[in-house]
Amino acid sequence: MQIKNLDELTSMEIDTLREIGSIGTGNAATALGQLLGREVRITLPEVRIMGYNEAIEWIGGPEAVTAGVLVGMGGQMSGIMLSVQQMGFINLVLESMLSESISDYMELNELRQSALIEVGNIMISTFINALSGLSGISVDLTVPAFTVDMQGAILSVPMAVYGGMSDYLMTIGGNFVCDNKQVPCHLLLSPDIRSLNFLLQKLGVTE
Amino acid sequence: MNEKLTVGIADMKMAKGSGVLITYALGSCIGLCFQDPALHLGALLHIMLPLNMEPGRKNPLKYADTGIRETLRQMEAKGASRKRITVKIAGGAKMFEVNGGNLGNIGQRNIESVHTILRQEGIRLLAEDVGGKVARTLLFDVVSGQGCIRSYGRQDVLF
Repeated sequence: MQIKNLDELTSMEIDTLREIGSIGTGNAATALGQLLGREVRITLPEVRIMGYNEAIEWIGGPEAVTAGVLVGMGGQMSGIMLSVQQMGFINLVLESMLSESISDYMELNELRQSALIEVGNIMISTFINALSGLSGISVDLTVPAFTVDMQGAILSVPMAVYGGMSDYLMTIGGNFVCDNKQVPCHLLLSPDIRSLNFLLQKLGVTE
Repeated sequence: MNEKLTVGIADMKMAKGSGVLITYALGSCIGLCFQDPALHLGALLHIMLPLNMEPGRKNPLKYADTGIRETLRQMEAKGASRKRITVKIAGGAKMFEVNGGNLGNIGQRNIESVHTILRQEGIRLLAEDVGGKVARTLLFDVVSGQGCIRSYGRQDVLF
């Protein structure tokens, strides 16, 4: 059965999406670990279907400033994938790759920004490659876009793009742990409804 | 400025006599500050998309067209006069510069839709701070009609 709204997903379908999230973030964690030269693991993968304002609270409030890397998905599946990077994550990347750290987002010069974009892009591409391999769906990715701004506005991008179809935001993703510390970075996949149906169908969960 | 009433996404709140309304982190969304100065009545609307084409229309406040009309209806129910009502708007930014893909420029479409609907409804647009790439938090004092826009890496804008 094709769903029209996200709240119609069955628990089996959500479990399947969680599995996608687990494999996707697992692969992204391995890629991140190789980039940083450290071991990175994942905690429980999550599938969340949230109201707009609930999603903003979940990410940690609307006004906190973060860096965001966004990649658009096209081809057989459309959607948006975001890497939302908080200061702790940014410094983890900068220390590993450039041996420096910052205390303010204003210090993100071009070189530092491109390091963050690259890390975000690699994590996103790895996630999508895993999804693509698992489902046999071919996905084209756009060049990554980057911004530093209020995280509420960053999160509102997938909301607005799919807002005409749904009152909810779905995120498939997980959290990373490095040196026994939670890494403040969210990796979020928001597919559109049509692609979500297609994905579930390809995976054999929906007729 | 301690008693602030928060307006969420796809949401609208009104205050009369006193009060500051606030909505956070407008990206491509638009915040509209409505005021009937004679009544000290103000409303803050946070819309996300330009036009309501959803079958069923469960959430009119999500869209510029139905959101503006619903806000005007509720203000008029409280005695506001369409001749006196003025509006200030903020938002409509483009958060990410994406080449390709189907993201489009929702912010720009929101701005155009808000302009069109306000003109159709005969509501005067007093001031605006729209477009660009920056997220905006919008505060609005319903008595003075003063709006304030907070952004990251930019000075506060009073309007």
